[in-house]
Amino acid sequence: MLQYVLAGLALGAIYAIASASLVVTYASSGVFNFAFGAMAFSVARFYYFLHTENGWPITAAAAVSLGMFAPALGALLYWLLFRHLLLRPPLIKIVATIGVSVALPPAVDLVFGKLPNTTAPGLAPVPLTVFHPFGATVTMDQVVNYLGLAVVLVVGVTVLRFTDAGLRVRAMVDSAALSGLSGVNASRVSLGVWAATTTLAGLAGILVAPTAGLSTDGMTYLMAAAFAAVVAARLTNLPAAVLAALAMGVFTTVVQRYLDPESALSAQIVPSIPFGFMLLFLLYYALRGRVRDEPAGGALDRAIRVEDGGAARTAPRAATPAGSPHGHRSLPTVAKAAGLVAVAALPLVLDEYWAGLAVTGLALSLVLLSYTLATGEGGMIWLCQITFAGLGALTAAELATTYGWHPLAAVAAGALPVVVLGVVIGLLTLKLGDLYVALVTLTFGLLVQTLVFTRDRFYNYGQGVAMPRPGFAEDDRVFAYLTLAAFALIALFIVNFRRSTAGLAMAAVRWSEDGARTVGLSIVRTKLLVSAMAACIAAVGGGFLAMNAQAAMLDTYNVFGGLVWLAVLVTIGSRSPVAALVAGLGFHFLPGVFQTHLPSAWAEVPVLLFGVGAIMVAKDPDGVLAMHARQLRGLVDRWARHRPAASPAPLAATASASEPTGGERP
Amino acid sequence: MTTVTTGPPDPSTAAARLEASGVTVRFGGLVALEGVDITVPAGAMVGLVGPNGAGKSTLFAVLSGLLRPDAGRVRMGGEDVTRASAAARARRGLARTFQRPELFSGLTVREHVVLADRVRRRGGRILRDLVTGGGFRRPSAAEDGRVAAIIESLHLEELRDREVSGLSLGACRLVEVARALATGPDVLLLDEPASGLDGRETAELAATLTRVNAEHGVSLLLVEHDVELVLGMCETVNVLDFGTVLRTGPPEEIRSDPAVRAAYLGAEQPPGTAREAAPDTDPEKERR
Ligand SMILES: Nc1ncnc2c1ncn2[C@@H]1O[C@H](COP(=O)(O)OP(=O)(O)OP(=O)(O)O)[C@@H](O)[C@H]1O
Ligand SMILES: [Mg+2]
Repeated sequence: MLQYVLAGLALGAIYAIASASLVVTYASSGVFNFAFGAMAFSVARFYYFLHTENGWPITAAAAVSLGMFAPALGALLYWLLFRHLLLRPPLIKIVATIGVSVALPPAVDLVFGKLPNTTAPGLAPVPLTVFHPFGATVTMDQVVNYLGLAVVLVVGVTVLRFTDAGLRVRAMVDSAALSGLSGVNASRVSLGVWAATTTLAGLAGILVAPTAGLSTDGMTYLMAAAFAAVVAARLTNLPAAVLAALAMGVFTTVVQRYLDPESALSAQIVPSIPFGFMLLFLLYYALRGRVRDEPAGGALDRAIRVEDGGAARTAPRAATPAGSPHGHRSLPTVAKAAGLVAVAALPLVLDEYWAGLAVTGLALSLVLLSYTLATGEGGMIWLCQITFAGLGALTAAELATTYGWHPLAAVAAGALPVVVLGVVIGLLTLKLGDLYVALVTLTFGLLVQTLVFTRDRFYNYGQGVAMPRPGFAEDDRVFAYLTLAAFALIALFIVNFRRSTAGLAMAAVRWSEDGARTVGLSIVRTKLLVSAMAACIAAVGGGFLAMNAQAAMLDTYNVFGGLVWLAVLVTIGSRSPVAALVAGLGFHFLPGVFQTHLPSAWAEVPVLLFGVGAIMVAKDPDGVLAMHARQLRGLVDRWARHRPAASPAPLAATASASEPTGGERP
Repeated sequence: MTTVTTGPPDPSTAAARLEASGVTVRFGGLVALEGVDITVPAGAMVGLVGPNGAGKSTLFAVLSGLLRPDAGRVRMGGEDVTRASAAARARRGLARTFQRPELFSGLTVREHVVLADRVRRRGGRILRDLVTGGGFRRPSAAEDGRVAAIIESLHLEELRDREVSGLSLGACRLVEVARALATGPDVLLLDEPASGLDGRETAELAATLTRVNAEHGVSLLLVEHDVELVLGMCETVNVLDFGTVLRTGPPEEIRSDPAVRAAYLGAEQPPGTAREAAPDTDPEKERR
C-alpha cells in the first residue's frame, strides 16, 4: 500500500506543479492556459536537447532550461500574445492559447528536430538509484518529484508572501485596475508571472517526461489532468489546487492496486480518472447553483468591464455595418454567391487527389457549422462538438454496418442519441460561466474518448467501424455534391435561425440573461434549443466525415483535434457559414499544398500557420473573413458611389446596407 | 391587459397591479430589505426614493422575479406571483428597466423592440417562424408599425439600426424603456431611467412616460435619484432607508417630512439639492 501511496504522491507532485502554474496564470491574468502542454513540451524538449543530445550535465542543462529558456519563452509569449488578451472575451482567450498550443510544438520541432522516440530521462541521474523505505520501493525520479514540489512551494510561498514582487502579484489578483491606479506596473508584473509560470510548466514537463514520454500527447494529458485539480480549486485557490492534485495522484495509483492490470477495462479507467474527478466537481458546482467565472479582478475591474455595456463578455463589438442581421459583419452577397459557385465547381475541375481533399474539407465544414451555431451565434464555448461528431459517426456506422441501414438513414438516426446528450449537457451547464462550460464540455469529450472511443470493438486498431456511402454516391464527385447539398441546407437553416425570432431570442439570452427573462423569454428553453440543434449538426457532420472516410475512424474525433478545429474556425470567423466552409476546405487543402509542392521539411508549416492565425485572433477577434469582408464592403461601397445615380437597385441596396460605422466607439 | 374582478373594490389592495408585502432579503449578514410593503395601483405613478444602498434595486429584483425574497409576498392583480419566474411575470404584464442597462449587445435597437413585441404577441412561442422559414420573410406591416411607433416615441429613430453596444449610456436607457414598452406592460418598473440623460432628454422621457401612463393606463414605479423628477411626476412616493419603508405619501408630504429630510437629504438641506447630495453618475460624462 505504502508503495502505491508514495508513487501516487510522486505523480501528484507533478500534477501539483502543473496546477500551480495554471492557477497562478488564471488568477493573475484571467487566461486559462490551454497552451500549458505545449509550453511544458517546449522546455522539456530544450532540456533534452541540452542534456541528452549535447551531453550537458543535469544541473547545467536544468539550470539553463528552467532558469533562462523557460522564462524567456514565457516573456516572449507574453509580449507576442498574452498582453493583448487582458480584456478579451473568454472565447478569444481560449482560442488564442489553443493557437499557441498548436503552433509551438511544430516550431520547436523545426528548430530542434523531430524526436524519433519519446523516452527521455528526467532530472535524476540514470541509472536510477532506488530506495527502500519501510519495504516500499522509491526511485530517484520520484524523490526528485517530491523535491521539485517542495522547492516550488517554498519558493512560491516566500515570493508571494514576503517579497515586494509577490505583493504586487497579489494586488493584481485582487484588482488589476486598482493596483494600476496605485502605481503597480501591471504589465511588468504580468510579464514576470508568465515567465514564472512557464518555468513551472517546464519543470512539470521535464519531470513527467520519464513516465509519460516526451511528446505533446503526454504533455497534453498532463495538462488535462491538472485541469481537474484546478477545477476542484475553483480556478483560483492555490493551496486547494495543490492538495487536490496530490489527492488525485494518490487515488490514481491506489486504484491500480485493485484493478486487473491485464484487463482492457483498467486500461481505460486509469487514464480517465482525472476527468472523472473533474466531472464530479463540475457537476457538484452545477447542481449547487450558479457558478460564474469572473476571473482576476475586483469590483473596479468588473465595473470597468461592464461599462462596455457588458459586451466585453463575448465576441465582436467594434464597428459593425448597420442593417445587417445582429449587426453581423458579413461578406457582400455577390461574393458569397461567387464563392459557392467556385466551391461547387471544385470537384469538377480538380483531379482525384485534390477532389478527395475537397470532399473531406466539405464534410469537416459540416461539423464546423455546429461550432458556428453554438459558439459563434450562441456564445456557448462547447469544446465537445467533435465528440458529438464522433458519437454520431460511430452510431451511424454501427447502424449501417451491423444492422444494414441505409447510410443516410443511419446518419440521421445517429444524430438522435447525440441530441439527447446535447440537451443533457445543456441542462448541466445552464448556470455555469463561460470557462466552466468550456471545461465541462472538454471533460465530457475526454471521458467519452477514453471510455468509449478506445474500446477495441470501436477503435479496431485505428480502422474504426466501417461506414458505407449511399449507393448512388460511391463516386467522390457525387459524394462531394451530396455533402455540399447538406452543407447548403444546414447553412440556410442557420441563416434562417439567426434572423428568426428564435435567433433574436438566442442573442438576447446570450448577451443578457436578466434582460431576456424580463421580456418574457425562457432561458432554459432557448439554450436547450441551441444545444440540441448544435449537437444534431455535429452528429450529422460526423456521419458525413465517416461516410467520406468509409469508416468511423475514432482518431479523427480526438478532443484536442476539436480544439484545433475551433481555433481554425474562429480564426476565419466564427459567425458565418461561409467561414465554416473556408475553414473546412483550408484545413485540408493547405497541408495538401505543402505536402505536394514543398519539401517534406515544411510539412509542419500549415499547422504552424493555423496556430499563428489563432494567435492573431487576439488582435482582431472577428476573424480573418470579417476583416476581409470589411475591406471588400469598402470596395463595393466606393465602387457604388462612383457610379452614376441611375445605378441598378440591388447594388445600391447592398451599398447602403453596408454604410461603415467604423470608429464610432469611443 | 389583466383586469381584476375579484375582491373588494378598495383601490389600495385588491385592484393593485403590483403589490409587495413583508418583503425581506438578506445577503449573508446584510439585511438589504426588511418587511417592505409597497403598492402600485392600476394606472398610478408611484415613486421610490432613498439614499444609495437603501435597497431600491434589490426590491426591483424581487418584484420582477429575478430574486427570491427570504420572506414576503408579491402579488400582481391580486394574484400571488412570489414563486412565478421572471419570464412568467413579464408575460403577465410586468416590465422593467435596469440601473445598469441589461441590453442585448449584439442586437440593434430595432431588434430589441421587435423581439419584445413578438414575445408578447406570441406568448413566448418563438419557434414558429424557425420552422416556417420566417427568417427570410419581411416582417408584417402591423409589426413594423408598432415597432416604429415605440421607437419614435423615444426619439430613437436615428439609432434604429445601430447595434446597441456602441451607444451612450443615455441612449441605452432609452432602448431599455423602448424594449419594456414593446412588451405591452401593465406595470413598468424603472430603475433610475434618467441618470445619464441630459436635461432635455430627461424632460422628453418624462413626457413619454406620462403619456404612456395616460393613454394606455400603464402603472409606473419609478426609482430615481433626481428627487424633483419623482416628486413632480408621481402621485405617491415611498421613501426607503436601510431596507425599510420610512414614509409613504403624496409628494407634498414627503417634501416637508422632517424624518425624510434627516434620513435622505441630510438635515439642513432643502429637498431641491438632492441631486448633489446623492452621489450619482455624472450625466456630462456619460453623454456622447
Ligand atoms: N448580490 C448582492 N450581494 C450582496 N449584497 C448586495 C447584493 N446586491 C445588493 N447588495 C447590497 O444590498 C444593499 C442594497 O443595494 P441596492 O442595490 O438595492 O441599493 P439601491 O437602493 O439600489 O442603491 P443605489 O441608489 O446605489 O442604486 C446594498 O448595501 C448592497 O451593497
Ligand atoms: Mg439601485
